Amino acid sequence: MRIGTAKQSYAADQALFDSATQRTWVLVLVLALIAFPFVADPYWLYLACLVAINIASATGLNILTGYTGLVSLGQAAFMGIGAYTVAVLEQRLGTPAILNLLIGGTVAMLGGVLVGIPSLRVKGLYLAIATIAASFIVHFLFANLGVTGGTAGLSVPPAKIFGVALDTSFRIYWLVVPVTALMLLGAANLFRTRIGRAFIAIRDRDISAEVLGIPLLRYKLLSFALSSFYAGVAGGLWAYFFRVVTPESFPLQMSIFFLAAIIVGGMGTILGAILGATFMTMVPEFLKLVVGWTSLGADSLQYVAPIRIIVFGVLIVGFLVFEPHGLAEMWRRVRRFFHLWPFKH
Amino acid sequence: MFSPSVSNAARWLRRLALPVALAACVSSAFAQAPAKEDIVIGASVPMSGVFAFAGIGIHAGLGDYVKWANEQGGIDGRKLRYVPEDTAYKVDVSVAAFKKITSQNNVNLYYGDSTGFSKTINAEIDRGGNILMSGASFASELNDPKKYPNQFMLGPDYTEMFGILLRHIAKETPKAKVAFVYSDTEFGRDPIATSREAAKKLGLDVAVEIMTAPGSVDVSTEIIKLRRANPDYTIFHGYVLAPIPEFVSQGKKMGLKSRYMGTFWTMDNSTVMQMGEDAQGFMGVMPYRYYYDTEGKSPMLDQIRKMRPEYQSTGYMQGFLGGMLFAEAAKRTLAAGKPLTGPNLKSALTSLKDFDTGGLIGVPITIKGNSIPVGRIYQADVKQKRMVPASDWIVLE
Repeated sequence: MRIGTAKQSYAADQALFDSATQRTWVLVLVLALIAFPFVADPYWLYLACLVAINIASATGLNILTGYTGLVSLGQAAFMGIGAYTVAVLEQRLGTPAILNLLIGGTVAMLGGVLVGIPSLRVKGLYLAIATIAASFIVHFLFANLGVTGGTAGLSVPPAKIFGVALDTSFRIYWLVVPVTALMLLGAANLFRTRIGRAFIAIRDRDISAEVLGIPLLRYKLLSFALSSFYAGVAGGLWAYFFRVVTPESFPLQMSIFFLAAIIVGGMGTILGAILGATFMTMVPEFLKLVVGWTSLGADSLQYVAPIRIIVFGVLIVGFLVFEPHGLAEMWRRVRRFFHLWPFKH
Repeated sequence: MFSPSVSNAARWLRRLALPVALAACVSSAFAQAPAKEDIVIGASVPMSGVFAFAGIGIHAGLGDYVKWANEQGGIDGRKLRYVPEDTAYKVDVSVAAFKKITSQNNVNLYYGDSTGFSKTINAEIDRGGNILMSGASFASELNDPKKYPNQFMLGPDYTEMFGILLRHIAKETPKAKVAFVYSDTEFGRDPIATSREAAKKLGLDVAVEIMTAPGSVDVSTEIIKLRRANPDYTIFHGYVLAPIPEFVSQGKKMGLKSRYMGTFWTMDNSTVMQMGEDAQGFMGVMPYRYYYDTEGKSPMLDQIRKMRPEYQSTGYMQGFLGGMLFAEAAKRTLAAGKPLTGPNLKSALTSLKDFDTGGLIGVPITIKGNSIPVGRIYQADVKQKRMVPASDWIVLE
């Protein structure tokens, strides 16, 4: 049982990882992430990168929806903006990958600010519809602008770091995972600042926040900007990872995927975006593995495939009904159990 | 000095030594005889999701061909092994399936489920150099051996499908007025620009081009446009079914004399017959023969009918042909004494000249570029509930 954590300074009180146990586990996680590519086969490496990209984008959406309370169904479109920007820069100018990712994030951020303008007037479902409309406009631009390659899209040359082409899952892992980790760290720190707390105040009651002196438009736009920056960078990573960007790469369904990820994971927590994106990406694959273990063979595939999707749907509904605070809350309960053990309360 | 029991044991050991050594030699000789490795066909197949209707057929076709080929003794004494994964027609899931299958098996041939996947995985296929790939996509972009050297498609590309339709139109009704109706997707837009030019060359007049949302239902304004243009032929592309029935039904009500045509994914017998009475006379291009087609000699179709007594979709035919061409490429590569690499398999495949598919396609086939530019115009006969031939086989040069 952990009896308490004595904080003897303000710095200790404000630390991101506030206990020695937590710091140890974070270190273990970092070491595991470093060791992972050396032991995993290409399939697991691929999934790890995909999960990391989805975590980055879900974290961005969580800033906007989970922390600021602004519902958006445009996350995939912002990812698309980032992906196309990176693709064009890489193809035409061959600028360094990290710079491309930053520019991709920045262009998506500008798009986000534009889309966020109506957010002062409309909220909830109305804002969601406005973001859907924006994503249709963005999709139209992707399909019709000359620079985006029309409906055929663009092929993306591999990212290069110090002259090494990141053209395998093993190599791209060293770009995707560190960038995602940095973005997570940034998001976690954001909510320890005045800006992050303003976002939370707006989410909890925007009129009260305004009375407290928080300029709503500025902070709402800032939230949109940050969220779309995250989406843009995630989109850029996506472009480097899949190496082809087409208008159909970022459908509305993808935005729903991210919204579902943060709801299942737990809105308004960094861990929620991580767990939600991991859950949404990995469970369908895990269910496939389970089907594989049952060794029903290739013939059974056509009967089992729809059942897998039904099970996935039931799992999501189950989470929403039995744990509306998401996987992050379940994780917190598990931690609390170990903190209090052997006592119940 | 040894005790009697120990010396007894030593005697027994000496007696056993010779037969044990002999047995070990024989067994090691057997163990060293290299077991012939399976030829692995991996597949990303959409068994769920929007494209499952086709994926189920493709899966059955590929699986059946592998089963049949193994019953015939495999290829050069090597068995074919089919390793499929469901993708739900999503590119990221399809890539995951590819990674999973290729990391667990020594894959030689791969079937992909979409244009997106074919484009995405191309760089990896080229880098690995061990796989020849085909799939469900007929995208014109893939018909480029320079850009996609280790891929091929199982029929004509979409531009070639339009080419076959336009050639038929030009022959049947010279200087006809044609309408192109297509979906606002990569699939829909694919052949439009090139076919506009092809129509001009054939002396046809493209009276109107109408783009709709994929699968849209309310197309009343587009139908008015079509009526205004009053085309002799209307070619639909980029759809499976909707909004084709709506166009055909309302067009008929408005007294339009246009003949309606579709491309591969619309042309399964069951899909066309879903239009009901309006299907009568609906035409389209089909690179494969239909399941029930008994015209001429067709041993493979007979074999399919023996294996599966009930109707099999055109997706099934595509899967079966895929298996057949994969096997033929492997057979020719091994016969030439070359290893089963992507480039070797591809050059074996492109060496096919006038290859007999056993009746799956009505004429001998030759791979040109990355495609098989051949097809036939079929039209719906609602009374028979069948697609019946409306032209001879058309081979594009």
